Parts: sequence; structure tokens; C-alpha cells
Amino acid sequence: MPRLTALFVLCAALAGCGRYAVRPNEKEFLADPVMAFDGDPQEASADDHVLTNREGAAGGAGAGGGGCGCN
Amino acid sequence: MQLARTASLVAFAAVVSIGVAHADDGIDVNTTWYQEQRQGGQGGLTVIHPQLDATVDVGEHSILSFGYAADAVTGATAKVYAVDAVSTATPFSDLRHEGNLGLAFAGRRSKLAVSGAVGVERDYLSLSVGATGSVDLPGKNTNLALAYSHARDQVCDKSNGELQPLERRALTGADPCAKDYGVFGKDTVDATMTLATTWRDLSIDTAQGTLTQNLSPTTVMQLSLYGQVLDGFQSNPYRQVRVGPNEPQEHVPDTRARVAISIKLNRYLRKLHGAVHLSGRAYSDNWGVTSGTVELAYSQYIGDSLLLRVRGRAYQQTAATFFKDAFFYETESTAGAYFTGDRELAPVRNAVIGGKLTLLSVAEDEHKVWGLFDRVDWNLKTDVFLLDELPADDEAANLGGRATQFLTSDQLLDAFELQLGLRTSW
Repeated sequence: MPRLTALFVLCAALAGCGRYAVRPNEKEFLADPVMAFDGDPQEASADDHVLTNREGAAGGAGAGGGGCGCN
Repeated sequence: MQLARTASLVAFAAVVSIGVAHADDGIDVNTTWYQEQRQGGQGGLTVIHPQLDATVDVGEHSILSFGYAADAVTGATAKVYAVDAVSTATPFSDLRHEGNLGLAFAGRRSKLAVSGAVGVERDYLSLSVGATGSVDLPGKNTNLALAYSHARDQVCDKSNGELQPLERRALTGADPCAKDYGVFGKDTVDATMTLATTWRDLSIDTAQGTLTQNLSPTTVMQLSLYGQVLDGFQSNPYRQVRVGPNEPQEHVPDTRARVAISIKLNRYLRKLHGAVHLSGRAYSDNWGVTSGTVELAYSQYIGDSLLLRVRGRAYQQTAATFFKDAFFYETESTAGAYFTGDRELAPVRNAVIGGKLTLLSVAEDEHKVWGLFDRVDWNLKTDVFLLDELPADDEAANLGGRATQFLTSDQLLDAFELQLGLRTSW
């Protein structure tokens, strides 16, 4: 658990370096639907439903969103 | 019961997806057909899983969402985990209903959503509530999200009173599982006024933090840290394990704490008009199960109205500390206080290969799709599952073998899934 937390904090810190990486007028491709994480919640839910009945692990699928990186 | 235990786990996915599905009003319908091979001559396992979800704006900043899903399950299950579990295969069927309701409030840079869900079937009940909040940091290249849910589940069980684990009897399909108001479990008594069945509690608390970061004009990354604590009855009440000369109900610990970390990366390929998707996950829990998952997918636009996605996924896990191959439960007794015949707690490798085809229809100028919608997507998706069961104990000393300890043993090509979906927005 401490190792996982440390890895998460490290990755988060590295990701924070990209704050100014993309300007608003450069987000055309990021806004494309194929760039969304879990862009189809029903498909993701159905897949999780199957996999958690075949595997002992569960969770960690993320919270959707992505693409343009904005709400 | 076969699919019930995941209901609350999947309900968490519904919590974190509130408001994600649509920026506009919309209705999504999807039906999944899952088919698994099983030994024993009682047929395979068939699951039909229809879903309907709707999202409606109820004011400038509020989004109401509601949904319904069902599981119709028929197939074969092994009554006793033993070297020859195949000979104990029996047919069963079950039907689960689930409804959910959510409300999201969206600001210029933030969103807050609350939701609740109810799941009902003959022998399993689930009530859950949850909340998720997300905010864009300045520059709108970084999004932070936090989600939490609490589920209060009830599992129908044979009344075993003060019996010791090796004496406990398993529930059968003929045992009554009564309810109050359809969503609260109610104990039952038999003709001699002795307690026949009771409902056992299970609470599930789940939390997740997610960071989404734009790395370049064509690359976005997501990191997630996930934790969950389950406290209560987690055995399958129907499953028996052959331990020496006895066949008691399986017995697993009451508390399970699990943690997972995942990373995802999407990169758009301008010249190809497609995108590549990479993800990885590491998982660990206090029952001793550790696992790793990697997935690679590719999306390709074909003209203006078709999108093809192909994917491959590989997964491997270790066994729970108290899991044994059936031969060793039969000849050496248990590993400590617990014993189980759950394949999910065995060492397995699982691979998935699949594809999805989407037919895209987008309104142009004032011409709505079918005269009504801004967007209509038809989805057809299929996955093939390959399973490799690994030994949990010394293979050379296993004189009984592992080929028939699970109904699914000895079959590399294990299952397939077919989904047909329709997504609309207006």
C-alpha cells in the first residue's frame, strides 16, 4: 500500500508539470470522442460486470472524463 | 447470486459516471449477451444484461439521470468444490433488477454529483449511495476527481445458528428468502417454528481519486487510486467445499480490504485519423490476491460515419492465501480457518480479444438525425475470453488433478460477449 501511494504521488507530480502543455486552441484532437476515457459508461459498466465475476480484482477503472481535460 | 456480488461494485462505476455520459439530454440503451462454456452436461452459463439510462437537464446547471438494468442468468453451477466438482453440476436460473437515480450540478470548472441505487433479486439485496466531485485546475489541462460510495447489502443464508464452520449447511434453491417491502430481508421459519433462513449483512465502502492530465495536443493521461473495504458475509451461501469427509458451506473472512492503482494513456494519431489507448493496473488485497492487468486498444475512423476499435487485454492473479486446489482440501483439510471453492480466488490468467464497430450519425446545420437528435450512435461489440487456470499447490503432489475441480476447467476458449447499443443525444 505505501509503495502504491508513493507511485501515485510521483506520477501525479510528474503529470502536474504539464499544466501549460496545451493551449485552448490546440485541443481539437483532445476533444475528439475517441480520446475520452470510458466514453461509453454502459459499455464500461457491462464489461466490469463480466470481469469482476471472472477475476478476483476489482476497481481502478478511473472516473471517465478526459479528452479535452475539462468538465 | 452468481452475478449479485458484483452489483455493488458496479454501482460504484455508475456513481463516478454520473454526468459523464452526456453533455446534452440523451437516452442510451444497451444489451449484453454473455455466454460461457461449462462442463457437466447441464449446459453453459448464459447472461442477458439489458441497460437503459437517461440524462435530462433540469435547469442551467443541474443534470438529472436515471437508469435501469437487469440480469437474466441461466446455466449450470457446481454444488460442491471437489476434485470431481463436475459430477455435482446442477442447473439454476436467477433474475436481478437494478435501478439508479442521480443528480449532478455542473459549474464552469467543477461538477458535483450524488446518486443512489437499488438492486433486488431472490437471494441478494443492495442499497447504495454515492457522491463524486471533480474540478478543472487553471488552464483546464488538469482535472481532479474524488468519488465515494457506501453500499448496504444483504445476503440470504441458511440459518446455521452457532454451528462451527465445518458444520454449516449451505443454502439451496428450495429455501425461502423472504423480504419486507421488496428491498429489506426478512427471516423465515419452517413448519416447526425453527429459524430456516436469515439475511446476512455486507457493507461496502469504496473511494477513488482520479487525476486526468493533458500532456500534449494529442496525448492525455489518467491516474487512479482506488480503495475498497468490504465488511460482512462474503461467502457464496450455496457453495459447499469437500473438506475431508465433510461438505460444509464455504467460509471466507468477513473483512476484505483492496487497493488498486491504474494508469491510462490515450494518444491521437493525426495522420491515421485514429487513436491508440494503453492502460495498466496493479491490484492487491488483504486476502493475498495480487494481480496485474495490461490493455492495448486502437480506434480508427473509417470515413465520416464509422469508427472501429480493436483491443487486447491480459490479466493474471495470485490465489488467496486460504485457497487450495480441491485435492488438498480433501486430503489435508483447510489452510487455517477458511476454505473456498471460488474460482475468483484461484490463480488464473485471463485474456480478452475483441472489437467494436460504431455507426456515427451527427446532425448537420439544421438537419437533425431522424428529425429529432443531435447525435445517434449504433454500437456492435464482441469480446472473446480465454482462461488459463493455474495450480495453487504443488502440481506433482496433486494426485486428483485439477481438470474437473471447476466447471470451467480445461477449456482455453472460455466465453464470448456480444453487445448491441444505441446512444442518442438532443
